[in-house]
Amino acid sequence: MVTAAIQTYGLTRRFGALTAVEDVTLSVASGQFFGFLGPNGAGKSTTIKMLTGLLEPSAGSIEILGQPFVAGALELKRQIGVVPEGMALLGRLTAPEYLRFVGRMYGLDRATTSRRTEELLEFMQLANESKKLVTDFSHGMQKKLALAAAVIHGPKVLFLDEPFEGVDAIAAGMLKSMLQGMINRGATIFLTTHVLEIVERLCSHVAIISKGRLVANGSIQELRAGVASTLPGAEHEQRLTLEEIFLSIVGAGEQPEPQQELSWLA
Amino acid sequence: MAGVNGAGSGAGAASGEACLMPLGGGAFGPVARAQYGALAKLRWQMLSNGLRFRKGKLELGVRTLGFLIYGATGVALGGGLGFAAYLLAASHEMRFLPLVFWATFLLWQMIPIMMASFQEQFDLGSLLRFPVSFQSFFLLYAVFGLADISTILGGLCCVGIWVGLSVALPGLFLWTTLTVGLFALFNILLVRAIFAWIDRWLAQRKTREILGAVFMLLVLSAQLLNPALHHGFADFHQSNHKDAIRNTQHYRDMEARYEPWLKMADAVQQWLPPGLAAKGLQQAAGQVGGKTGGPTSGAAPGLGLIGLYALVAGGVLATRLKAEYRGESLGQAPKRTKAAPIRAKLAAGTSASTAAKVERASGWIPAWAGPVGAVMEKELRSLMRSVSQLYVLGAPLMMVFIFGSMFRSNVGTGHSFTLALPVCMAYSMLGFTQLFANNLGTEGAGIQLLFLSPTPFRTVLLAKNLFHAMLFGVDALIAGILVTLRLGTPDSAVLVGTIGWLLFALPANLAVGNVFSITMPFRVNPGRLTRQRGSQANALLSLLTQLAVMAVGATVFGLCWYLDRLWLAGPVFLVLAAGSVFGWLRVLRNAEGMANRRKDSLLLTLVKTE
Repeated sequence: MVTAAIQTYGLTRRFGALTAVEDVTLSVASGQFFGFLGPNGAGKSTTIKMLTGLLEPSAGSIEILGQPFVAGALELKRQIGVVPEGMALLGRLTAPEYLRFVGRMYGLDRATTSRRTEELLEFMQLANESKKLVTDFSHGMQKKLALAAAVIHGPKVLFLDEPFEGVDAIAAGMLKSMLQGMINRGATIFLTTHVLEIVERLCSHVAIISKGRLVANGSIQELRAGVASTLPGAEHEQRLTLEEIFLSIVGAGEQPEPQQELSWLA
Repeated sequence: MAGVNGAGSGAGAASGEACLMPLGGGAFGPVARAQYGALAKLRWQMLSNGLRFRKGKLELGVRTLGFLIYGATGVALGGGLGFAAYLLAASHEMRFLPLVFWATFLLWQMIPIMMASFQEQFDLGSLLRFPVSFQSFFLLYAVFGLADISTILGGLCCVGIWVGLSVALPGLFLWTTLTVGLFALFNILLVRAIFAWIDRWLAQRKTREILGAVFMLLVLSAQLLNPALHHGFADFHQSNHKDAIRNTQHYRDMEARYEPWLKMADAVQQWLPPGLAAKGLQQAAGQVGGKTGGPTSGAAPGLGLIGLYALVAGGVLATRLKAEYRGESLGQAPKRTKAAPIRAKLAAGTSASTAAKVERASGWIPAWAGPVGAVMEKELRSLMRSVSQLYVLGAPLMMVFIFGSMFRSNVGTGHSFTLALPVCMAYSMLGFTQLFANNLGTEGAGIQLLFLSPTPFRTVLLAKNLFHAMLFGVDALIAGILVTLRLGTPDSAVLVGTIGWLLFALPANLAVGNVFSITMPFRVNPGRLTRQRGSQANALLSLLTQLAVMAVGATVFGLCWYLDRLWLAGPVFLVLAAGSVFGWLRVLRNAEGMANRRKDSLLLTLVKTE
């Protein structure tokens, strides 16, 4: 039996009266590129924060690489890499300084930290910007640096919250190939993004969360078949894109008709 | 891809694990030590990188100056308290030693409250994504607190007491060291625990607003209680001139009335850390002096109890930090709209309740006020939701209330200090220092809107200045009423002079504040009393400006008093006021260009996070 890289049981997070994530039970197999989708405010970032130890669940439990993930599970934290929602960069450092800091915080020895810093900067095409402060980086450069910081310690499980937002096409292609390389070597990647084409191209499995509840979970083929079966005509299955699947599941019907919305707009 | 083989599992991960240091060893294991080193280096790099900018150099200079000032203040306070401790011990008056420890305790715990907006602290929550153990997290939280102004001052006071007592009672060196050391540890842990919990309570907007309202009520209640509490004393002072014998009787009556309360307070304080520290040393000294065995039996129980208090304070702090360490969110999740379909909502048009809410939300300032009114309303709403700002505005009023009694000088003569009114006004203006000098700090990312909107920047600053002036007007009025109730109606010449000084001081502060707000702003988190990332340069320079404005006032008042022509102060201040109003208008006129020239730096500071 293959151990799940990420496993949650009844994961719930409440903020006062609001339940942001409710009873999410999820399993991500080792070596899977997993897409976690949902509309704005659905609970994606809250889920990632719980899965990475930044937020305490109100109920439920998490297992990472077969081990219970609780506060103080330091060895497990070392197996995890994260590009969090706000990137968590330190603006008044240069990129090499920041990467060295992160490497040391994960307990890498100095020589390895320095070597990997150089390799990552080279790979991310940030080597020429090594004197520049992070605060002066463009948004895309900051994303690349955040990704470099997330992988410097060689994590087995990588959590990426909107990693391609603001990244140009060339850099995005490069990052995708790097991530694919990690998958080929057995890492597990948990990705959230609103760009469904990227998920369709990279991910083998997808879960969709809406209003805090998991509403779909499976391989893209399984989801496609599931949605197609609810539509008239079996030929739909071949033509359904992930966007159509997503809209069908989270309720495209709630979108207003163009003529009904804000008619005073030019 | 060859360059990033460390990422992932398999061969890459295996090589990665080989170069990872072993975890374990608690707060002093190899990884923990490497993390402390990385954090120290991080702080150093952030400081040295900051020197690339003129602002950074200024920051460093001011920070150094600040530490020198705080250090000198601490040495003076420590010297004073140490000398007092020495005198008490040398003259066998150890029964008064609790006063020295209580003074240190109050200083230690009160200063963070008074100086909350001037301090910069590091938010350790950002470390949670790394494999940092709880012991390290706790230790780092405590260690970062050592650079607090309160700890520097309190620590120096403790050193002063330790030196004073050790010189006076060399036989008690060990016990003095242990007692003062434990007392200092207790204070460090307590002050960190208090602020960790306050930050927790202020994290949610609703709690913040409730606390804000409670705080304002407390401030107002303090003002109302004041005259009532001192009614008895006022009678005493007024009659003192007339009949000394009756006064003595009155004093005896009062002593008899308050003696049980004082005795009870003394009995209680002996069981609290400052009292325990003093009592323990007092007993040890008595046993050493009386040669009834070693000091152990006298000091040890007290020492044990202080240790227990320190443990409790540490436990309270640990409880809070444990929750943060587990990933407790201090913020609030965004509200999700309930299930009603958008189509249905739009079909129904804007609902009556939404319309009412919009109407209610925009009804504070009349519509004709335009952008100025809009900015003022926004400022008022922001202020009402920021307990930390309400606090810094209210705190000086509380101090005016407390210091009021100091101006009832010459107890027994009934005379008050003539210039008490301007002194109290000047003090109440202190609370506005940060509001004047960092008036863009609460904008955050909203600063972009100020640049995007067609409203000129000078209009925005004008609105903020008018709002702050009105706010200060209310504060000054309360302070004025308070002083009048405490000390009687002020002399008309003093009243005119004070109004003249305010007319000079307010525009001067607003003008300089506008310049500081544009040139050295810092982002203010309205929900936090501590862990703010401040600008030391802004804080200290604005404080120096306040002091300069006060010095001008003091010079004019002093000279006029010396020449016995107090009436002259009013006209002199009016001339100065004309100058400061002119300066303020000039700054406003140039604000547009100044803000546009520094647009990048303003956006960088207020929008981007550290």
